[in-house]
Amino acid sequence: MQTARRKQMETSEVLHMNKGTGETSYAVNSSVQNTIISCAEPATKKAIVQILCSSNWPEKMGIADLGCSSGPNVLRVISEILDTVYSTTCLLDRPAPELVVYLNDLFTNDFNNIFGSLPSFYRKQKQEKGSGFGPCFVSAVPGTFYGRLFPSKSLHFVHSSSSLHWLSQVPGGLEDGSGRALNKQKIYLSKSSPKCVLDAYSRQFKNDFSVFLASRSQEIVAGGRMVLSLMGRETMDPTTDHSCYQWELLARSLMTMVSEGLLEEEKVDSFDAPYYAPCLEEMKMEIQKEGSFIVDEHEAYEIDWDAGMKLQSDSPTVTPLTSGERVARTIRAVVESMLEPHFGCHIMDELFRRYAEVVEDHLSKTRTTYINLVISLVKQG
Amino acid sequence: MQTTTRRKEMETLEVLHMNKGAGQTSYAMNSSVQNTIISCAEPARKKALVQILCSSNWPEKMGIADLGCSSGPNALRVISEILDGVYATTCLLNRPAPELVVYLNDLFTNDFNNIFGSLPSFYRKQKQEKGSGFGSYFVSAVPGSFYGRLFPSKSLHFAHSSSSLHWLSRVPSGLENGSGRALNKRKIYLSKSSPKCVLDAYSQQFKNDFSVFLASRSQEMVAGGRMVLSLMGRESMDPTTDHSCYQWELLARSLMSMVSEGLLEEEKVDSFDAPYYAPCLEEMKMEIQKEGSFIVTEHEAYEIDWDAGMELQSDSPTTGTPLTSGERVARSIRAVVESMLESHFGCHIMDELFRRYAQMVEDHLSKTRTKYINLVISLVKQG
Repeated sequence: MQTARRKQMETSEVLHMNKGTGETSYAVNSSVQNTIISCAEPATKKAIVQILCSSNWPEKMGIADLGCSSGPNVLRVISEILDTVYSTTCLLDRPAPELVVYLNDLFTNDFNNIFGSLPSFYRKQKQEKGSGFGPCFVSAVPGTFYGRLFPSKSLHFVHSSSSLHWLSQVPGGLEDGSGRALNKQKIYLSKSSPKCVLDAYSRQFKNDFSVFLASRSQEIVAGGRMVLSLMGRETMDPTTDHSCYQWELLARSLMTMVSEGLLEEEKVDSFDAPYYAPCLEEMKMEIQKEGSFIVDEHEAYEIDWDAGMKLQSDSPTVTPLTSGERVARTIRAVVESMLEPHFGCHIMDELFRRYAEVVEDHLSKTRTTYINLVISLVKQG
Repeated sequence: MQTTTRRKEMETLEVLHMNKGAGQTSYAMNSSVQNTIISCAEPARKKALVQILCSSNWPEKMGIADLGCSSGPNALRVISEILDGVYATTCLLNRPAPELVVYLNDLFTNDFNNIFGSLPSFYRKQKQEKGSGFGSYFVSAVPGSFYGRLFPSKSLHFAHSSSSLHWLSRVPSGLENGSGRALNKRKIYLSKSSPKCVLDAYSQQFKNDFSVFLASRSQEMVAGGRMVLSLMGRESMDPTTDHSCYQWELLARSLMSMVSEGLLEEEKVDSFDAPYYAPCLEEMKMEIQKEGSFIVTEHEAYEIDWDAGMELQSDSPTTGTPLTSGERVARSIRAVVESMLESHFGCHIMDELFRRYAQMVEDHLSKTRTKYINLVISLVKQG
């Protein structure tokens, strides 16, 4: 029996959304994430207004978007935040604070793509708000948000969307004492995963989230706020379809390739996604334990797997994509970078072709949705 | 007679960027001269950092900016040396290191992905050299023109700029006469044949740009904050001396040799001018005094060989014939100016242009030892 211990994969080394603006890029396949940003918009607006209505008017306001990725969603978030600051300062008849906007993502993110859009972003802001609106300085802060990114007490508002479900690494403890995989034929939690795998994932999330909170605690001023939006689940059971099924179907697609001899089963057994969809109770427990933040409000939203993609197609004249194909493209744009170093880039087209079929078949029978959690926090004084 | 259409004023920030990636014509592989220039300013940088840290107000947080950082190995070399300087000084004074915020600035089109790709190993090296006792430092990128605001008010303690301030915000206006005819014919920068109005236009553009640069930094820097600026300059009042013009003169001649062979239209050369200016110290001091926020603490002029730092460069370390001086210089210049030439002349002529340029430079260097003049000037923000 071949035993080769798998190197623990640091998420920061391999995970990035697909770059550029091509057919498989994140920039053109992030409609679901765009929909998710819309869900958090009311909470974001409310948080900004509350910060500006506090007794300490900030002369300088630090704003961070953690896990910003690239493509059109990035500057959309910032644009909406600036709109809210502008509206609130007009309403309160006060001078706008000097705004510092930090865009954070991992070192491998395509920041050049974002920067290429900044000149027109600045022109648009000037056009909409006039030159009376205070200065706004946009910068990029590469690095993992599971650790310090900003100077002490420099942030007033932190936003994170579609990022905190990514763990800092694949959990340890997914192999037994002999190095045999415990999560065989799967790449994430599933109904067949043993309890120790479920516990390993939950513990990794708690550790990561705790480090996230402790780091932000240092960086955020008293009264500063965070709006966090991530894939989650509504039940205590982490193996429900809503939180696992997109991975379950991907594992099945991989296993069909194994059964046809295109892929070794050991490859699937030794791969696990550095991802976790928490429930609110898990998050609240860590927040309370870390002690720096109070939960202000929270909400759970159901998101269709192909949300926001109704009219998407390769071109107006070509046959529209099936639901399965649209979902497969969205998932591919996110996970391809981590699958490739493990399985090889040569199998990607075939894998996602099969995945599209498996998803299409699934969606034709049942309406599975993602659960997106939005949680607002306030830094205690 | 055909009257040429008026040339759109070229905004530098839209087209200028160093050649990306790590290939043969990339800036990362062809920036030895700039590396040498960084070394010239090292004493001034160290001194400025020590003075900041020895001031009566010990900074709890220290903002550090590198303006015009480009990409490739030089970008993080500067930051590494600055961190070394802060570390050595805090150890010497037996004080806790301030929290450092390091801003890397360049134009929107700069290859920041290249720099970020090197950051993980940079962080590991810092931790290895300084231990985890060294305070926190945070590296971020600030894209945009330094001819304007980039940072929040009173957030910078030290600003550094190397091989960047000679780039103007745009090509000067006034390089055409009333009928739209080019006044700087057959040249792409100042030369001995340029009329006085062209010389004045360039000088005026530099003064305007530098004044805006100073006013912006004035808002961003704390009282007692310091700047070390390093740029191509000249030592005489005459802006057409060989030391400050000749690399452009030879490039213009290379272009004109292509015109004479029918490979390029002369109008293309007439209508192109570089958004570049090599000032003398007097011009800079005058603007500094006029703007009023900064005092000059020291300045220095260094002669830099055109092929400085490239002695051992070749196509490959093991098998290639060593490059001639001309070829090395041509690569260095190409890595910097190709992006702006391509947008005007087309990318298809670049290989041929720089092949000819290499020959011209080789011929020139075999007869005379022309150098760049690099100015290093240290400023302190008044209270």
